[in-house]
Amino acid sequence: MSVRGVSRSYRDGSRSVLAVEGTHLDIPEGKFVTIVGPSACGKSTLLNLFCGLDQPDSGSIETPSQGTGALLGRIGYMPQQDLLMPWRDVAGNAAVGLECLGVGRQEARSRALGHMRRFGLEGFEGSFPGQLSGGMRQRVAMLRTFLCGRRINMLDEPFGKLDALTRASMQAWLLDYWQEYRCTILFVTHDIDEALFLSDVVHLMSPRPGRIVLSLEVDLPRPRKYSEVVTSAPFNALKARLLEQLGRQP
Amino acid sequence: MRSRVLPPLLLGAGMIGAWEAYVRIARIDILLLPPPSAVALYLIGNVGIFVRNGLATLSELLVGFACGVLIGLALGVLMQLVRGFRDAAYPWLVATQMVPIPAVAPILVLWFGFTLVPKAVTVALMCFFPVAVSTVDGLGAVNPELIRLMRSFGASPWAIMRMASFPSAMPRIFSGLRVAMALSVVGAVVGEWVGSTRGLGYLMLQFENRGETAGLFATVTVLTAMGIVLFFLVGWVEGAVIPWRRYAKETL
Ligand SMILES: Nc1ncnc2c1ncn2[C@@H]1O[C@H](COP(=O)(O)OP(=O)(O)O)[C@@H](O)[C@H]1O
Ligand SMILES: [Mg+2]
Repeated sequence: MSVRGVSRSYRDGSRSVLAVEGTHLDIPEGKFVTIVGPSACGKSTLLNLFCGLDQPDSGSIETPSQGTGALLGRIGYMPQQDLLMPWRDVAGNAAVGLECLGVGRQEARSRALGHMRRFGLEGFEGSFPGQLSGGMRQRVAMLRTFLCGRRINMLDEPFGKLDALTRASMQAWLLDYWQEYRCTILFVTHDIDEALFLSDVVHLMSPRPGRIVLSLEVDLPRPRKYSEVVTSAPFNALKARLLEQLGRQP
Repeated sequence: MRSRVLPPLLLGAGMIGAWEAYVRIARIDILLLPPPSAVALYLIGNVGIFVRNGLATLSELLVGFACGVLIGLALGVLMQLVRGFRDAAYPWLVATQMVPIPAVAPILVLWFGFTLVPKAVTVALMCFFPVAVSTVDGLGAVNPELIRLMRSFGASPWAIMRMASFPSAMPRIFSGLRVAMALSVVGAVVGEWVGSTRGLGYLMLQFENRGETAGLFATVTVLTAMGIVLFFLVGWVEGAVIPWRRYAKETL
């Protein structure tokens, strides 16, 4: 996927607020790409543009399969809120994406059931969202998105609301899963450690108006182990560059 | 269970006791205010009449309620799906509720005769409105983020309505159904007052004309009991249809 000079502004009363400005971005096939930036810098705005929920004021977004055609319904998207339906159990919630694609209810459910173990939801198929922990809710939401089988999946701060320990285990789990299935992932976070630990490429966004101010290749060897990676010298060198760039912002 | 059933029973028993005592001590004329014991005796002595007329009212009420609910749901869904229809129809729907039903009911009798139809129409006229309003409000209150997510999955507007808006509107729709049920008891009686040959409303008129106050009170008692049972029946159906409510800490 390639993004060329995309800008988007919102009306705030009478003023027009530039949320993202002139963003260039390449998301190579099969890579784990992360956008990291402070809150309200326009990360979610970008994802909305990329998955076709919103149109840019200027610039273009191209995918290899679709060209510049309609993106809606072609990109896997996991929003910041988990948005689980309280009236559906775990398996039913995981099946929502498939059902939206036109798969029959029973078929969608049985396909969702086939992934329960891999997503650590075994034994909770019939539980309702209100009975789940935060980490499990995120895994249901992620399964709902991944089940759609899109080549590109965009995850908006999926671990943002989790406690540190749960987040660490979810990060490891996600890397595992990604290495097994090799889809393209565009990951959004405000956590620099998380971005570096997970990604092949990290793009740093500036505060409003959001634009990409630094792009780093993260050539740390895989598979990565959190305790080893975050204490290694190359990791800290990359982190220092990101922090330095952030400190340079006015 | 005990804590929900016992207090209202105790309160009711207390009030009935006070009523009985007042009528006996103050020696009130039975034609003005019969004691509860007299009402109960009348009720037991004429069970057949009350069952026959109660069933007549019940059938009018249920037919009217079912039609009103279906119309209300359809209007609500249509107003939510088609913006233009909503803007055009909303003031007119409000207008139907401003028309006094007792003024319309005689016309209905003129059209449909002394049958079940005018009563059912009266009931439907009264109860479609709260259902339509609560349906529109409920469907509109669905989390817009959920709709965006489903659009990103490629869902059609109808799929979004079926899978997201409608289930999330259920609790509100049931609030509307409860109001409609309470109104439909009134609607059935008003329909019968205007022109009928049976039913609890008809019975009330008869007792009033004959000065049988105890019978009148007995009819009101039966009507009230029927209304309360129907009202809580809606709540029971709600519990069966929305079992997830127990687990929903948040509303979506
Ligand atoms: N629909 C909208 N209408 C108006 N302003 C918006 C809208 N969406 C986002 N914004 C503004 O754009 C900026 C970027 O928001 P967002 O993309 O949600 O940031 P992030 O996800 O990085 O925290 C914020 O200042 C926000 O107030
Ligand atoms: Mg955001």
